[in-house]
Amino acid sequence: MKRLHKLIIALSVTVGASITSCQRLDIPPTNIVGPDVIFGTEAGVTSFLANIYTGLPIEDFKYRPDGGFRTGGNDWENFYNSASVTGEEVGPFGGMDIGGGFGYWPYGDIRKVNILLDELPKHAAELTQVKVDQLIGEGHFLRAYYYFGLAKRYGGVPIIKVAQDPGAPLEELQVHRDKEEDVWNFIGEELDLGYQMMPETSPAGRANKYVAAALKSRAMLYAATIAKYGSVNFVDGPARAEGFVGIGADKANGFFTKAYDAAKLLEGHYSLYERNPDKLQNYIDLFLKTGDSPEAIFVKQYSILNQTAHSWDATMSPRYFTANALSRSYPTLDLVQLWGDLPVTNGDGTPKRFNDRAELMQGLEPRLLATVYFPGATLRGLTFDMQRGIYPSFSGTAAAEVAKPNNSRSFILSGDVKTLYQGKQIIGFTGPWTGGDELTRTGFYVRKYVDYNKPQASVDLNRSEQPWMDLRYAEVLLNRAEAAIELGNTGDALTDINLIRVRAGATPYASIDLEKVRKERRMELAFENHYYWDLKRWRTADIVLNNARFKGLMPYFVFNENKFIFLAEPELFQRNYNFDKRFYYEPIPGGELGKNPNLYPNNPNY
Amino acid sequence: MKKQISRMLLGLTILASSACTKIDNYPGPDASFEGNLISTEGGNLLTSQNSSQIRLEQISWSATPSPQEIPSKFDGTFKDSKLFKGKYKVIPKGGAFWPIYDTITVDINKGTKHDFTVTPYLLIKNFTATLNGTTLTLTYDIEAPISAGLPTILETQPFINTTKLVGAGASIRDYSDAYLKRINKEYVDMTDAEKTISIDVENMVPGRKFFARVGVRLNDSFKSYNFSDIIEIDIPKP
Repeated sequence: MKRLHKLIIALSVTVGASITSCQRLDIPPTNIVGPDVIFGTEAGVTSFLANIYTGLPIEDFKYRPDGGFRTGGNDWENFYNSASVTGEEVGPFGGMDIGGGFGYWPYGDIRKVNILLDELPKHAAELTQVKVDQLIGEGHFLRAYYYFGLAKRYGGVPIIKVAQDPGAPLEELQVHRDKEEDVWNFIGEELDLGYQMMPETSPAGRANKYVAAALKSRAMLYAATIAKYGSVNFVDGPARAEGFVGIGADKANGFFTKAYDAAKLLEGHYSLYERNPDKLQNYIDLFLKTGDSPEAIFVKQYSILNQTAHSWDATMSPRYFTANALSRSYPTLDLVQLWGDLPVTNGDGTPKRFNDRAELMQGLEPRLLATVYFPGATLRGLTFDMQRGIYPSFSGTAAAEVAKPNNSRSFILSGDVKTLYQGKQIIGFTGPWTGGDELTRTGFYVRKYVDYNKPQASVDLNRSEQPWMDLRYAEVLLNRAEAAIELGNTGDALTDINLIRVRAGATPYASIDLEKVRKERRMELAFENHYYWDLKRWRTADIVLNNARFKGLMPYFVFNENKFIFLAEPELFQRNYNFDKRFYYEPIPGGELGKNPNLYPNNPNY
Repeated sequence: MKKQISRMLLGLTILASSACTKIDNYPGPDASFEGNLISTEGGNLLTSQNSSQIRLEQISWSATPSPQEIPSKFDGTFKDSKLFKGKYKVIPKGGAFWPIYDTITVDINKGTKHDFTVTPYLLIKNFTATLNGTTLTLTYDIEAPISAGLPTILETQPFINTTKLVGAGASIRDYSDAYLKRINKEYVDMTDAEKTISIDVENMVPGRKFFARVGVRLNDSFKSYNFSDIIEIDIPKP
């Protein structure tokens, strides 16, 4: 009996073992998500796309021109922007600190797009052919966006359309640079595919066909001006001789035409934001009510919950208006004077006397007031009380006073906001002040995109969620106007510019020229990270930023008259800015040159 | 036990001896490279701090090395005494001279010397300084050895400093940048009168010694300056 038991046990063990041993162990690893899972469902593709969208080179609130694109939870130093090397602002950069770039080289992201474009056609059965085509169009748009980020920095870069096999021989992996012209043409073709294949509408944050057209108008305008102006003002070198940087001047008109045609595609589908009859409030709302705005073409969103929020509100205004942190971005008087000279001086050269700082804002263009916080403006119930110091009395002209060395001027300054002069506060709570970095050095603060509705207690770091408008219709109109005027179509340029001017609350122009188009672009797109690239593609950066120094507008209180005066003085950082001609192109990153000698020759003079 | 110890010792000896077989016998950076930037118009090319450089690319190991640069000194000489011995491609760059495109290959060793000959864009001639009270008048003529294809002449200005290291980026702003004169003309379009320049630098501090020179800036790739020589000026006490 016992034996039988033993036999049964032995048998069952053997059988059990043999059954389980026949189980296939050779199964796909369950902890790795394969292409079938990702590309077989729409949710999978969406999550893969989210990854690609996150990496897009969008120069938003958090972008640091010397450090790169930031997508983390604590990228709070939003005042490190390109506006503070171009004279739109003065800020944390000590000079032209961003000319060499930060070594942007997004071939990892481009690889993801290439995989997407390779995999999608295999999944038409699960996703439907219509959906696959739309997604392929989106892929082409995304790839164009990455190449645009590369081309505007380096000129010609290797065009890689198929994901490289890491096992391939080294000679195949070490690709050569393509010519600059070919890269811009490739970007144009990719965006054409995007336009043809994508649907008319898309959820916020994702591209549709008009986003592709809008980006094309921008990219082709860049290429056109590089061809036109880069063939006059350039740095010689082997990379130029081989066409890796520079485009022939004869190609300019072709690119201008492409830019114009692409911009025209948006007509009737997007329009300028004009919901509030009050021009000032309308221009403020434009940047804060992007949700259903007819002007917002392509937006980037932020979320406290997902730890992607930005810090624009906490870093554009001083601590006086916020719950934490500091500001360090100060618009210059030079920017403000694009709108014309401020009425701060009388005919005889003496400074005009004001009863109240806020009087200065009377009669100024609403767009200017919505772009920059002037002395006397209010935010969250508090006043911008900018005051550089006190003059016990003031006589003579503004120019003579400013020309004097500081130690022979009769003003009273102070090291802090607590010091009083005969019971009167010497400097304002909001500066200007040179003792620390957090108060204005120019007499102005940034207003564009600042959410004035946020209660002060919640204006903290990484707590701002207003979306960034990467592409808006006003830019498309400006692209169109610039291309039109370069092509000699002044009528179209005048119409486009006047649309923008009327919305801004400015008087429309009766005639137009290139200078006016460029100036309108600077005014409309101030602080939106365009002007740095505009200076570069117009090839005027080395002329504008030639030992350049910028000015501020310093409010003073004249004690015996009980009045305010404003003096135009050098900004208080006293910085100067110089743009080397070689900065028109950034150097190919050293690490990449080390890995791939075929990327030589490097751009001229590096 | 004894056996074990002797085995361990043997092992240690083998390890110790093998660890020392490779010694770093590569020579240190003891080679040097020096020379002059000779102007075709006589003398050395007058430069300022880092206004001209000698670019070196060591091609002993790689066809595409990272370049390094030797800045020229104020008198147009250059020297780097901490270089690795080897084969280098060298070329002067930075202006203000007609660009040279062909590199030459030099075997750099201890005490290697090489002079480069360059053609300056402009010469500053008849540079004189006269002092009238506290006003310093600088007069000079500019002359181009080759005028065809010369980059646009942008501006001219004095450079004044309290040390003899004076030039662009090493000068007193109120005496130098403040007196910048914009020209913005092609050399061939300039009249003879425009080629003679006179600048009055005012309110020089009495009782101080200054060093002065003048520069003319051209719109080449480097926006480089051609400089005059440096003169010493004593402003007498009143």
